[in-house]
Amino acid sequence: MTVAPENYVALSAVLFFIGVVGVIARRNPLIMLMSIELLFNASNLALVTYARAWVNNVGHIFAFLVITVAAAEAAIALAIVVVTFRSRRFVDVDEVSALKG
Amino acid sequence: MTVTALVLGPILIGLALYAVPRERVAIARIVAAAVTALTFALAVADPHAADASLHWLSRPFDASFHLGFGPVSYWIVLLLSLTTFGGVLAASGPRSRDIAAQLLILQGAMNGVFLAKDLLLFALFWDLMLIPVFLVLVGTPHARAGWKYLIYNLSGGLALLLATAAFGVVTGSTDVIGRPNVHLMIGEVWGTWIFAGFAFAFLVKTPVFPFHTWMPETYAELPPPVVAVVSAVQSKAGLYGFLAIVLPFLGVEAARAQTLMFVLGTIALIYGALAALAERDAKRVVAYSSLSHLGLILLAVFSGSVLAIQGAVVYMVAHGLFSAVLFLVLGGVEQREETRDVARLGGLGARNPKLAGALMLAALAALGLPGLAGFSGEILILTGVFHAGFVWPAIVALIAIVLASAYMLRLFQTIMNGPELPDLPERRDLTWTEALAVAPLVAGFVLLGVNPGPVVAVAERAAHVAVPGAVTFSHALNAAEDSRVVGSR
Amino acid sequence: MLLYLVWLLPLIGAVVLWAFGPQLKSWAGPVGSALVGVSFAATLVLWNEATAPHGLHVGLVSWLAGWDFGLQLDRLSLIWTLVITGVGFLIHVYSIGYMHGDRAFARFFAYMNFFVFAMLTLVLSDNVVGLLVGWGLVGLASYFLIGFWFYKPTAVSAARKAFVMNVVGDVAILFSIFLIVSRIGAIGYDRIFAQTPPPAFGAHELFLICLGLFIGCAAKSAQVPLHTWLPDAMEGPTPVSALIHAATMVTAGVYLIARFAPLWSASPDAQELTGVIGALTAISGAILGCAQWDIKRILAYSTMSQIGYMIMGVGVGAYGSGVFHFLTHAFFKAQLFLGAGIVIHALADEQDVRRMGGLRKMLPFAFVAMLTGVLAICGVPGFSGFFSKDAVVYGALETGHPWLYAIGVITAGITAYYMFRLLFVTFFGAYRGNVDPSDLGIRHPELAGTAATSSSSGHHPEEEEPHRHARSWLMSGPVAVLILPTIFIGWLDAGGNAPWKRYFEGFFPPAHAFAANGAYVPPISETLSTALVFAVVVAGFAVAYLRYGASPALRDAIARLRTETVRMPGVLANAYYFDAAYEALFVRPAYALGRWFYRVADPHGIDAGVREVAVSAQWLGHLFRSFQTGLVRAYALTIAVGVVCFVAYYAFAFTGAAR
Repeated sequence: MTVAPENYVALSAVLFFIGVVGVIARRNPLIMLMSIELLFNASNLALVTYARAWVNNVGHIFAFLVITVAAAEAAIALAIVVVTFRSRRFVDVDEVSALKG
Repeated sequence: MTVTALVLGPILIGLALYAVPRERVAIARIVAAAVTALTFALAVADPHAADASLHWLSRPFDASFHLGFGPVSYWIVLLLSLTTFGGVLAASGPRSRDIAAQLLILQGAMNGVFLAKDLLLFALFWDLMLIPVFLVLVGTPHARAGWKYLIYNLSGGLALLLATAAFGVVTGSTDVIGRPNVHLMIGEVWGTWIFAGFAFAFLVKTPVFPFHTWMPETYAELPPPVVAVVSAVQSKAGLYGFLAIVLPFLGVEAARAQTLMFVLGTIALIYGALAALAERDAKRVVAYSSLSHLGLILLAVFSGSVLAIQGAVVYMVAHGLFSAVLFLVLGGVEQREETRDVARLGGLGARNPKLAGALMLAALAALGLPGLAGFSGEILILTGVFHAGFVWPAIVALIAIVLASAYMLRLFQTIMNGPELPDLPERRDLTWTEALAVAPLVAGFVLLGVNPGPVVAVAERAAHVAVPGAVTFSHALNAAEDSRVVGSR
Repeated sequence: MLLYLVWLLPLIGAVVLWAFGPQLKSWAGPVGSALVGVSFAATLVLWNEATAPHGLHVGLVSWLAGWDFGLQLDRLSLIWTLVITGVGFLIHVYSIGYMHGDRAFARFFAYMNFFVFAMLTLVLSDNVVGLLVGWGLVGLASYFLIGFWFYKPTAVSAARKAFVMNVVGDVAILFSIFLIVSRIGAIGYDRIFAQTPPPAFGAHELFLICLGLFIGCAAKSAQVPLHTWLPDAMEGPTPVSALIHAATMVTAGVYLIARFAPLWSASPDAQELTGVIGALTAISGAILGCAQWDIKRILAYSTMSQIGYMIMGVGVGAYGSGVFHFLTHAFFKAQLFLGAGIVIHALADEQDVRRMGGLRKMLPFAFVAMLTGVLAICGVPGFSGFFSKDAVVYGALETGHPWLYAIGVITAGITAYYMFRLLFVTFFGAYRGNVDPSDLGIRHPELAGTAATSSSSGHHPEEEEPHRHARSWLMSGPVAVLILPTIFIGWLDAGGNAPWKRYFEGFFPPAHAFAANGAYVPPISETLSTALVFAVVVAGFAVAYLRYGASPALRDAIARLRTETVRMPGVLANAYYFDAAYEALFVRPAYALGRWFYRVADPHGIDAGVREVAVSAQWLGHLFRSFQTGLVRAYALTIAVGVVCFVAYYAFAFTGAAR
């Protein structure tokens, strides 16, 4: 049984939308990180779907690349969150705005 | 080999001088003086040295580490070693080790600028030669002047780099300087932009009105040994750029900009002369006089006359020689009397005849006394400019010559003549090292004044590279005469 | 070979004396003099070669094709060379006595030798650029020597004034060189005068060339309106005034015009202009000479007036007469200056004639010397000036310039007046050196060339008594030698058909004038003209005698001099206000403009513009900074909105294209 690619793409879009809302609306960095993971996975899903649909392996390779980058990004981001928490005793992204111009 | 040594040798030894302890001033100065003397000997001994070339880029355009003598650059290299030699010998005080080291680095970098046969290399050395001057300036109490110098000249350097990159991409190679018969397809749009980039860089560096305001400040605040080299040679980099790069490859654009350049040059001529007439700071007087003289050379470069370009080369060397002497001697005065304000100086000549003699000779060369180098350059330039049909700029230049005699004599007389002022801290004549620093330069401008023949002869090649279509002066005359005869019949 | 020696010996002298002056001590004077003397002797040896048809010619250096430098000694330059080295030698010898004991004895002779070298460069060059080199170098030598006592502010500013005004002339000549070279393509006289009249130039160009050259002459030879430096130049030591500012340098303009005679002969406008300016200078210098009290300034204005004669002569085309007047003038004016030098030296640097008087008995030799000079300059028959001045004045008439002739005749009368005035006031009556300056109407003694009240006299301030100054034979010897040519040099042109006259006629360039081409017949003959001139001279003498020399005038000399000083018209006392006018017209505006440039235009104009660029960059930065809130969620929202916008744009664009 094969599922039509449109469904995957629709699912991917829904996931992406949830991720975007999560990033914008939440102030807890951990939740934001999870939302970013959602964004990644939404795009991965889209990539793999199109790769399958057009029989082109570049999409697969890109998905792997995204996974590794996502892992690195999560590691760094969590490290930043931990350091921020240590110095400030709370983690609210709106309060951590030292990097303004 | 020779040319590579001329560029890299001084830079490396200059860096190595920082290993010498700060207090061992004598060692640093002796080593530096020996190196400069050696570069002079090297250039004199091997005037036909082969080019050194190393291909280093093939994409996006061809570029090489390509160094070699050209008809203009050979004289400038000699001038540079002489002035650096003088500067090193005249350096004094606690910072002399640093100054000697920076002078060597400066010499190497500027040799790189003038010997580079590759535009990219030229641009790289161009920026490199700003660094030692900047470092010396920020070490003085007037760091602001250093920043002003760097910002002005780096903005020019950026324009130069962009223009070079564009030039490379459009033509495919930057290894072009000194090749007479390269017909480059640049196209009108790109040509205009590339010309604008080069011209901006060169006008700022020379400097020409209205880009000159960094100069009086820089010249006034730099220690005398460094300002001697900077005014003597660095100010020629822009003019050399016009001669060796802009005119041969962007001749059409240059011809289109001729009027603009003549206007700027003429304004610089008279503006510098008048400002020098009224200025009270001795070193700024010389700075403004340089503005005036360099404006004259700009006229020569853009006149399209072979004779004027020959004169321009003579005058570039001449101006280097006498402005170096002026700054070295005025530096000596400043160091002794702790002021540069001419109103607070006076009567020094009575007890310091050699100091007065050196200043007099340099001032005379600067005001264009017949028989010294300033005159031979001026008369060739002005005859050429006049012959090329620019009557009014030539007349303005004549007025500037009259003004030059007024401000140079005013400078000399207020410092050296009149009643001896009682409250000056120190009276000491030229020491023998200072005399040794100044002597070769003085000998240079006397010789060049009596017979500029060798420089003129070599400069003719430069003129033909710069103005490919032009014929020599005498040919042009004969042609003119023929047409006149035909016309009258 | 010998010509190189003639030319270079003074230069060698200058360098040696400059470098080793302190070691040479009192030998500096003899060494310097001897070199000039040898140069003179060598010139005499070259006589035959120089008088050959094309003269003597040797090469020097070549700058580029057409720019060849060399030396040439032909008849015209021979006259000048002999005067420069000959009179120069005598004045050098005189200076050994005059400058004795000066701190910078060797430096003085170095400068003098340098001057001789420069002047020889000027007259020996075989090309116009070499001439300009000499022209500039004599200006420099004159600058050095005017400002010789450089601790005196007046000397310093006089030196600068002289140099700058001379540079005005230099650049004018430079302008002519442009015109010449851009047509001929070469600088040598042989090329410039290859064809006469020069076919390469149009009439307009020819006039411009002559105009440029003439402005150069006017600056160097103190012609109106560029004459104001000459009186001030008297700040230099008296031998300098004799050599440079009377005998040789200031007559360079005459040489130039005589040398460029082919061009002048081809340009009637140039001749007219030169003649008129020369005549104006002659009469205005003479009038100012009547109003001076400083003995050297009187002689300076008389020099200006006499050069006016010469310029008028060569200007109207009577080249030979002008050159001849130069020759006689070189001797008698040197004589006058050296005589005045003896007086000044004996009176411990007193130069104000009001404080002299009665010196005939104290300084009889100086009196004889001055008297000979005065008789010569006035043109008393038998003395040299008689022959040359007559020739010049009549030359003006002969070439069809009756007005110039009239001015010349009147000027001769005025000349006699002021020269005899000088003689009477200085040498007759009673000595007035011990009279209080204010009784003579002298308000600022230090400004009036009076040494009595100021101690700035350079070399012998301790001596006050006139008699204590024994005049040495070094000073009187050269003056005695000069008396001979002062009287007799004029006879070269006299004696009807005498062999020497025929021989020397070839030395002076032939006259050429437009009006004289057969059309103009002078209304009076030369003999009549001579008589007329002499009558006017006698009249001038008579007035001077009645005002200063007759016994009633001598008796109340103090009161008369006081009245004359106090009633001196301002226009004469200030020399027609030329200096004030130049100050207001050129000097002040130039300084003001320059000050405005570096105090206002640079920092507040150009730098302000550059600062505006910096400020606008800063403002742009502020603008962009406001977007950087540091709120991560705001950034995310911006990105999201941006993405939505992009997607929307492409979506609509593509649907639009599909439709």
